[in-house]
Amino acid sequence: MALYTLAHMYPDLMNLYGDRGNLFCLRKRLEWYGHSCSIKSYGLGDNWDCSQVDMIFMGGGSDREQELVYRDLLRKSDRLMAEIESGLPVLAICGAYQLLGSSYHSSDGKLMDGLRFFDFYTRGEEGRLIGNIVLNSKIEGKSISVVGFENHGGRTYFQDSSLEPFGTVVKGYGNNGKDRTEGIRYHNLIGSYLHGPLLPKNPAIADFYIRAMSERKGIEIDMELDDYLENYAHQQVLKKAE
Amino acid sequence: MGLGMKKLLIILAILLGKIAIWLSHLLGKQGSNFPGQVARRIYPSILRELAANINEEIIVITGTNGKTTSTNMMAAIIKEKGYSLVHNQAGANMMAGITAAFVNASDLSGRQRFDYALLETDEANVPLLLQELTPKVLLITNFFRDQLDRYGELDYTINLIKDSVRNTDIELVLNADDPLVVHFQNETGLHCWYVGFANTEYDSFGSMESREGRYCVFCGSELQYERYHYAQLGRFSCPACGSHNPKPNFCGHDLQMNPRISFKVNNIDIKSPYQGFYNAYNILAAVSVSKLLGIQDDTIQRAIAAYQPRAGRMEEFFINGKRVVIILVKNPTGLNQTLSAIVSDKEAKDIFFALNDNAADGRDISWIWDAEMEIINSPEAQIATIVASGLRSGDLALRVKYSGFDTDAIIIKTDLKNGIETVVNKQGRVSYILSTYTALFECRKILVKMQEDSGEILEKQFETEN
Ligand SMILES: [Zn+2]
Repeated sequence: MALYTLAHMYPDLMNLYGDRGNLFCLRKRLEWYGHSCSIKSYGLGDNWDCSQVDMIFMGGGSDREQELVYRDLLRKSDRLMAEIESGLPVLAICGAYQLLGSSYHSSDGKLMDGLRFFDFYTRGEEGRLIGNIVLNSKIEGKSISVVGFENHGGRTYFQDSSLEPFGTVVKGYGNNGKDRTEGIRYHNLIGSYLHGPLLPKNPAIADFYIRAMSERKGIEIDMELDDYLENYAHQQVLKKAE
Repeated sequence: MGLGMKKLLIILAILLGKIAIWLSHLLGKQGSNFPGQVARRIYPSILRELAANINEEIIVITGTNGKTTSTNMMAAIIKEKGYSLVHNQAGANMMAGITAAFVNASDLSGRQRFDYALLETDEANVPLLLQELTPKVLLITNFFRDQLDRYGELDYTINLIKDSVRNTDIELVLNADDPLVVHFQNETGLHCWYVGFANTEYDSFGSMESREGRYCVFCGSELQYERYHYAQLGRFSCPACGSHNPKPNFCGHDLQMNPRISFKVNNIDIKSPYQGFYNAYNILAAVSVSKLLGIQDDTIQRAIAAYQPRAGRMEEFFINGKRVVIILVKNPTGLNQTLSAIVSDKEAKDIFFALNDNAADGRDISWIWDAEMEIINSPEAQIATIVASGLRSGDLALRVKYSGFDTDAIIIKTDLKNGIETVVNKQGRVSYILSTYTALFECRKILVKMQEDSGEILEKQFETEN
């Protein structure tokens, strides 16, 4: 039995739309796989070392909160990017995903800097993109459907055409409602607009993170969980979207 | 348009509106938008026209939680006093629903007068409503998180309301204990009345519930709480800029809940059959607004003491000797309240929960992950089975599973009737029926039928929704 440590970044500021459910999901699944899991919360000004955690999760917040987080995260960004390059699993939802790009242009003309990990930007445009969303994605070579709920005013545009989206939009809007891309995928990092929360209804992605963490710890996961309820909920959303 | 033509259109709008209301009742579609839309289509300023028939005051009630209960309590007080009033029904709280309430109350001429109008409305609808009528008082109960999925962020909604009341004579009644309501504090030109609680023996000094307003609205620093009354409501101050609770004009003090609520409002004794701190806030709001309207203390006391919980809000049924309780849930705070009430019930029990995602429920059901569902696994909870139902039964089942509940004790029955029958036939002494808004009427209908079929004698007649 091994201990997995998940970092929950800025839970007080960046926790909209039940996204903390992603962490509940990973913790329970790790326990069901026979391991234990501790979720550590980090807030503004906390000193922490990203090489000491197995995974990082960060959700979305309002504009004001995002700015506070940006300033805090900027100081740790070099270390963080180096860890991402070496395969640290990261899940960044909504506002946290936007922060990974170069900038956010709000609809009232404000320009906010991003961490510039990737060459994309986000622009606030008229009307929020809200509703159930279905994607096609590839996880560990397998093509899967991904379901969730999106609710964002910002539209994200890739400037570097070699960036790989997290999935292709089947139903819904995705990054910008135009090019059918959704989110970003880089090594073991996923950035995405999908709330819901994402992982409970998409156990394949939850297990992708668990395997990625385990591999880095030299642990093999060789059992399968009963995902009857997970698949039922997944199918229920797929059917709604038809 | 000639005066005769205008009169004719008003009569036509009211007539067809009334027919549409009658039809929706016939089809069992309470809370439908259709009747109000019909009337507004025929005569677009019908609401403006009918709102001019109010002799005394129009009172608008908004906020995330408690608006229905506090509005209903206020209505009971006004009726106790013998005044006539227009009052919209829970759930019918957008423009169409409010229009329908006036159409329903009015005679065909559209000139029947009423003493008061009590209008409960969704936060995001306040600016629209204020374009068509001007209330004397706007009561804001509190700002909790459930509006987020429909309208983007809470700050945005609050700013919309702020803009719509700026430079008016509207008097605001605000919750002094809610850090988000304090937004209105520094707005000049508005008369604000604050209502809040003094220290109570039920206060806590730290809690697990997600707290929306933890950051100062003026400078963004983390607020320091001296104590919490309930959720984010409590005594707070900002260490950076010094902002803090305003001093309440109407102060609730000497609160007792054993388990029925009694307390004093500026030394007036108040007793109610209701339970729970959130209801104490509802009572405090209703009493405060009634005092502002000049209603006498003894009238208020009598009306609150006689006012019983309404249909679907902890209403009880008896089916084959088993107690079955139905409860409306619509956001994390409400669900937390409901679950803690269920857990503190000492009997062994089973739970049915219908989760829908229609527009009136909120399309985004992720709020179930913001509730502290884990409480169902505490040893004193005594919950044997949970039946997940409604359009999003799958999501609900997952939330229950990831709270740590035994998977074998989770049953998915998407169909409401099937699900309710399953839970009522379980071993537990009590069944709790939880439902989001759009499944509530159907669930209640099923229970009424089951109670009749089981031949139980009704202990008392409950008020129906109309
Ligand atoms: Zn401050």
